[in-house]
Amino acid sequence: MSNQFSRRSVLGKIGATLAGLIAAPAAKAAKTVVQKEFVTSGAPKGYDPTQHKWRMAIDANRCIGCGLCAEACKTENHVPAGPYFRTWIERYIITKPKAGSGEARGEVFVDCPDGGMHGFPEPPVPKEEIQHSFFVPKLCNLCEHSPCTQVCPVGATFDAPDGAVLIDPTYCIGCGFCIQACPYGCRFLSPITKTAEKCTLCYHRITRGLKPACVEVCPTQARIFGDLKHPVPDDPLQQFYQNNLVLALKPHLGTEPRVFYAGIDKEVR
Amino acid sequence: MTNLVTTGVLEAMTNIVVEVMPRPEGYVYPNEATVQPLWGILIVLYPYITGLVAGAFIMASLVRVFNVRALEPVYRLSLLTAFAFLLCAPLPLLFHLGHPERCYEVMMTPHLTSPMAIFGFVYAWYLMAVLLLELWFDYRHDFVNWADITPGFKGMLYRLFIVGVTDTSEPAVALDHRIGHILSIVGIPSAFLLHGYVGFIFGSVKANPWWGNVLMPIIFIMSAMVSGIALCVFNYLVLSWIRRRTVDMKCIDMMGKFLFYALVMDATIEGLDWIHRIYSAEEGFRIMQYMAREKLFYTLSLGQVAFGTLVPLILLGLLQLIRKRVPELQRRRMYFTSSLLILIGVLAMRWNVVIGGQLFSKSLRGLMGYKMEFTGLEGWFMGAVLLCLPFIVLTVFVKLFLSERLPTSGFVPHREPGEPALEAGEV
Amino acid sequence: MRRFIQMPPQLFRIFLLAVGIVTVYLIARYFLTPASFGQYGWYRGEALAELAARQPIYAGKKACEECHSDEYQKLIKHEHKTLSCEGCHGPGQAHADNPRKDNIAKSSFAACLRCHEANPSRPKFLKQISVKTHYTGSKCTECHVPHMPLEVP
Repeated sequence: MSNQFSRRSVLGKIGATLAGLIAAPAAKAAKTVVQKEFVTSGAPKGYDPTQHKWRMAIDANRCIGCGLCAEACKTENHVPAGPYFRTWIERYIITKPKAGSGEARGEVFVDCPDGGMHGFPEPPVPKEEIQHSFFVPKLCNLCEHSPCTQVCPVGATFDAPDGAVLIDPTYCIGCGFCIQACPYGCRFLSPITKTAEKCTLCYHRITRGLKPACVEVCPTQARIFGDLKHPVPDDPLQQFYQNNLVLALKPHLGTEPRVFYAGIDKEVR
Repeated sequence: MTNLVTTGVLEAMTNIVVEVMPRPEGYVYPNEATVQPLWGILIVLYPYITGLVAGAFIMASLVRVFNVRALEPVYRLSLLTAFAFLLCAPLPLLFHLGHPERCYEVMMTPHLTSPMAIFGFVYAWYLMAVLLLELWFDYRHDFVNWADITPGFKGMLYRLFIVGVTDTSEPAVALDHRIGHILSIVGIPSAFLLHGYVGFIFGSVKANPWWGNVLMPIIFIMSAMVSGIALCVFNYLVLSWIRRRTVDMKCIDMMGKFLFYALVMDATIEGLDWIHRIYSAEEGFRIMQYMAREKLFYTLSLGQVAFGTLVPLILLGLLQLIRKRVPELQRRRMYFTSSLLILIGVLAMRWNVVIGGQLFSKSLRGLMGYKMEFTGLEGWFMGAVLLCLPFIVLTVFVKLFLSERLPTSGFVPHREPGEPALEAGEV
Repeated sequence: MRRFIQMPPQLFRIFLLAVGIVTVYLIARYFLTPASFGQYGWYRGEALAELAARQPIYAGKKACEECHSDEYQKLIKHEHKTLSCEGCHGPGQAHADNPRKDNIAKSSFAACLRCHEANPSRPKFLKQISVKTHYTGSKCTECHVPHMPLEVP
């Protein structure tokens, strides 16, 4: 009898402890500041991520392949030297079909020397053989259903409420799953921090009212940036959406990318 | 054909003299132009080891759940194999992380939409609730007996493992075996879950056409079963040879039979994958075909298909047909050869899946290369160490738990109390 | 309940062990989960502020206007109005914080050629020149004023 009582009381105590432990994290989270605005020292004061929706659009008709954007991004974000790019420019050269081949187009050449950072050299084919040629700046496609944030095992990469897809460098374990899962090749593992890195839309700039570095230095306004929740007068982003038929990259994967491209060809993947 | 062999040999020879790093050909995204792929030999070894665990456990459960009496001699060896390999399975993952000191985050804040996050829990469940418990319930009776007769450190260990439950009466032991039986039943879907989700890690990546398809978890489970059974055959033959014990031919013949049919199923499913890819020829097919021919020739056509699947199929198939006419020594040699080839073939298959998926660009316009170094975290040396480590752990377990000098309780999984034990060859 | 408590010792001890492990896990989880986790979603809310706290290296065109308004006014009234100052002069935040001659670049004709060198991939709206045929002198600025490109110096 006494054995049963002591067992019963032991079990009762265990049950109570477990219930308490399960409830504790919820209580802890509730205690955390519910306010949305930034309060960390150094962060732009008063910025509320839930009040903005940042978007970028690419007008490939206007890109001249100068590479200033890729270079500015490398500098602004301390991107490591080497094959690591948060944004890059691709050059597509579609040649004329061979005479008598019965084809509409010839071979397609795509290149991206050093991310396009230093501009582009002479094309690999003579000028006379080129049917179409254009540049496409590439970056994180800001997917609505990001496959990269879906596969992060710890919650280190996420969709911020204001549209950017970010990585928490102090929490990332460097497993590389998100890099494998991104269909657009926009992520890389930094050899310096050993965490994943990607385009952050220059989060530290846009929260201060500046534009991302790539948008800032682009000489032809091929990169268009804006806030969908607070469009300015003559907002270039709104005008872009209004005036252009657009494509998104790899739509068959269902990632619903929110970066739209005007002026690209079917050869662009 | 000779062209490829000559180029391969020349390449290998040049690399001894001068280190020639592979350069991308065609167009690859700038972030893909790294010298080494992101997931290297460590991520090849991890599915291989967990696959062996799942397969060895299935071998053990054939005895307990499906009452295949001929396999009784390898029951405990299979369980111990599964346990030894399971303990070593997280090591390649840990070494591969950019920040291994943050690995606890996977258990503390698991992102439940990620297959990798589920790993922590599936692994913990399988280790603790399935394997450890089943081993304990099977061995408890023996631990009680051994604790009394073994002196020193080993005796202390046995006493520790009893967890204080010293009742060895008939009803207690019968209860042990009933619970063990239930655990085996629970263990089969758990084993499928353990390795099926590894396949799903790759199968869920829609960005990569080499990985992201529905058959991937099934293929992984099937090849895991094949490799696990092959490992048990291999271990049993090696252990018998080391201990100079006669091999129970009924047991090994039965194992060979299961190995053959598992291999047939595995080859069928993988063949289906190939046929479907070739037939539907979707967008990425051209570049993947080119990559498989150029970069994966040795590991795919030779390693996985020819030597890892076709030769064992022929050897084992022959044994199914004309077993009675083949003398015992030749049969053992054929089983040994087949299991070794299968083990190498499944390792090649893991290589082809993991590395193959990273050898072509997501732009579908170019190929990258892979040159393994000798030293370093992702080098040959580390790979060899991580492959040998589970065998070393298994040796320790065999010395502790399969010792020939200690009497076993004589119970074999499903036998009714009162039935005589099996004779020669009982490991 | 009585039957549960009276269960055989093997099961009861295993049950206690299981409860123990789960308890340790929950305790660890309470202490090891960062405070702001879950604020906006399945991530550390603090990370947003930390990422935003990094310091810009490019200042932006408006920052240049504060001190160099005459050049700025000239620029925006001519063909190069869409260009950013830092595209040719390099990152300017260091200079804006501490205006000196040595922490901003003066620019060179390499900057001109970067955009204006003829390349068949460039769109037709851009004025392009082939260096060999356009001019055999040494500097573009002999005939062009960078901020007012069609004016003659």
